[in-house]
Amino acid sequence: MAETRVERQVARTLAKRGERAGWTRQRERLYVAYAVPALLILFVVTIVPTLFLLGTSLTNLNPSMPGTLRFIGLQNYQVLLQQDRFWNSIWVQVRLSFWTVSLQLLIGLGIALLLNSRLRFLELIRSLFIIPMVLPPVVVAIIWKVLFVPNISPVSWALSLAGIQGPAWLVHPFWALFAIIVAETWEWFPFTMLMLLAALQMMPEEPLEAAKIDGASSVQVLWHIVLPLLKPAIIVALLFRLIDSVKAFPHIYIMTAGGPGVATEPTNFYAYLQAFTFSLVGFGSSISTIILILTLALSLLIVRIVGRMVDYE
Amino acid sequence: MSSRRAVHAGTSAGRRSLQRTLAYLLLLLLTLGTLFPFYWLLQMSLKTGFAMFEMPPRLIFTPSLENYHAVLSREFIASFSNSTVASLSTTVLSLIFGVPAAYGLARTRFRGEGLISFWVLGTRMAPPVAFAIPFFLAYMRLDLLDTIQGLVLVYLTVNLSLVIWMMRAYFEGLPRSLEEAAFIDGASVTQTFLRITLPLSAPGLATTAIFCFLLSWNDFFYALVLTSSKAVTAPVAIVNFMGYMGTEWGKITAGGTLIMLPVVAFSFAVRKYLIRGLTAGAVKG
Repeated sequence: MAETRVERQVARTLAKRGERAGWTRQRERLYVAYAVPALLILFVVTIVPTLFLLGTSLTNLNPSMPGTLRFIGLQNYQVLLQQDRFWNSIWVQVRLSFWTVSLQLLIGLGIALLLNSRLRFLELIRSLFIIPMVLPPVVVAIIWKVLFVPNISPVSWALSLAGIQGPAWLVHPFWALFAIIVAETWEWFPFTMLMLLAALQMMPEEPLEAAKIDGASSVQVLWHIVLPLLKPAIIVALLFRLIDSVKAFPHIYIMTAGGPGVATEPTNFYAYLQAFTFSLVGFGSSISTIILILTLALSLLIVRIVGRMVDYE
Repeated sequence: MSSRRAVHAGTSAGRRSLQRTLAYLLLLLLTLGTLFPFYWLLQMSLKTGFAMFEMPPRLIFTPSLENYHAVLSREFIASFSNSTVASLSTTVLSLIFGVPAAYGLARTRFRGEGLISFWVLGTRMAPPVAFAIPFFLAYMRLDLLDTIQGLVLVYLTVNLSLVIWMMRAYFEGLPRSLEEAAFIDGASVTQTFLRITLPLSAPGLATTAIFCFLLSWNDFFYALVLTSSKAVTAPVAIVNFMGYMGTEWGKITAGGTLIMLPVVAFSFAVRKYLIRGLTAGAVKG
C-alpha cells in the first residue's frame, strides 16, 4: 500500500518532469523560430553581398563597358599591390588613423578624468560634450569646411591678428590632412570620453583610497592605479575608433575630395573612387575586400576582449 | 607639533582648492572650444550676405531667417521627406523583425552564439563601400537604384543587427519570474512575449528605435551612391549646394542646421545609452 503510494508519487513526478521537459523543448523551438526571419534577412543583406563582393573582386567588371566581363583570378590584387596610389592611400590611412585615434584617446581620457564626479553641473557639461559625436557627419564636415576655407575662416582671421598668415588649409597637402584630422578628432573624442568615463565610474574605490592613505600623489595614483585599471576600456575604445577611422568618408568627400592630388586619399576613399567614379567595379571590389578583411580581423579582437571583460565581472 | 601639522594640512587644502579651480577653468575652456564650431554654424545660418563672412564677426546681430526661406525649396523639402520616410521605414522594419529575434536569442542557449555576436559586430564594423558595390550592382538589375525601398533595404544591414544586439541585452536583463508566472498560468510563448515582456521593455524599445532612426538619418555614403535624383536624402541634397556655381554658404548652413536639430534633440533623450548604441550593444556604458 505504502509502496504503491510512493510509486505513484514517483510516477507522477516523472510524468510531470517529462511533460515539463517536452514543454521546455517546445518553447525552445519557438524561441529559435522567433530568431529565424531576422537572421535570414541579415544573411541576405550581409553574407550574400560579401560573397558577391569576393566574386566581383576576381573579375574586370566595369558597368560602363557592358559585355567585357571576364574572370581574371587574382589579377586585381596583383595590380593593386604594385600600385603607388594604393600604397599612398594606405600611408594616408595610417597617418590619419594614428593621429585621430591617439588624439581622441588623449583628449577623451583627459576630459573623462576632469568630469569624473557626480556633481550635477558636471553632468550637464557632459551632455554638451556629446554634441559633436551625434551630429550628422555631413554637418561636421560642413562646419569644418567653413572653418578652414581661407577667405571666410575665423581660424585664419584669428591667426592674422597674431600676425601669422594662415595657409590655404584645404589645398595644401600637409594642412589638408591636418584639417581632416582636426575634424575627425573633434567629432569622435566624446566617444572615448564617454567610454572611459563609464569605466572610471565603475572603478572600485578601495585601491584609490589605500594609495591616498599611503601618501601617493594624484599623478602617481593616476599612473600606477587608474590607468592600469582602465586598460581594457582603453583598448576597446581604441579598437572601435581605429576601425571607424578606416571608414572616414564624408569629411574627405566634402572637405578635400582626396586632394590636393592624392594627399588626403585614404584606402576607403580610393575604393569609392575606383568603383563609383571610374566605374572600375572589379578593381574597387578588390580594394574593398582588403579593407573588409582588415576591419573584421580587428572586430574579432574586440569580441575576444569584450568577452573576457564580461567574464571577469 | 600639532600646530605644524595644522599648517601643513592648511597648505595642502589650499593647494587642492587651487587645483580644483584650475581644473574647472580648464573644463570651461574645453567646453567653449568644443562648442565653438557648432555655434559658428548656427550663427552663420542666421546671418545674410556680407555679414556671414564679416571679420571680426558680429556677436550681436538681428537674426534673419532669409537663409531658411531660401533653402526650403521644393527639392530640399522633398529630400527632407525622403530622409524621414527612409529612416522611419527602416526603424519600423528593423523593430518588427529584430525585436522577436532578440527575444528568441535572449531566451535560448546555443552553440553558435559567439559566431552570431561576431557576425553582428562585423556588420556594424564593415566598411560601407564593401556592401555598396554588391547592392549597387543588384539594384541596377532590380531597378532599385534611386528608390527609397532600395535605401531601406541597405539600411537594414546595420539597423537590424543593432536592434538584435541592443534588445537581446535588454531582454536578458529583465527578470524571468514574471514570464515563468505567466507560463504557469497557461499562457503561450507568444502571449507571454506580447503581453508581459514587450510592455516591460518600452524604455529599451524607445531607445533602440531612436538609434535606428539616427543611424539612417545620418547616413551619407549609401544615399550618395545609391540615389541620384528622386530618392535623394537631405544630407546629399545639402552637399549638392556645393556645386559648379560656387558654394551657397547660406543654404548650406541653414540646411545643415535643419538636419541636425532633430538629431541633437533625439540624442539628448538617449544620451545615457549612446555608447551602447554606437557599439551595437557590444559595450556597456
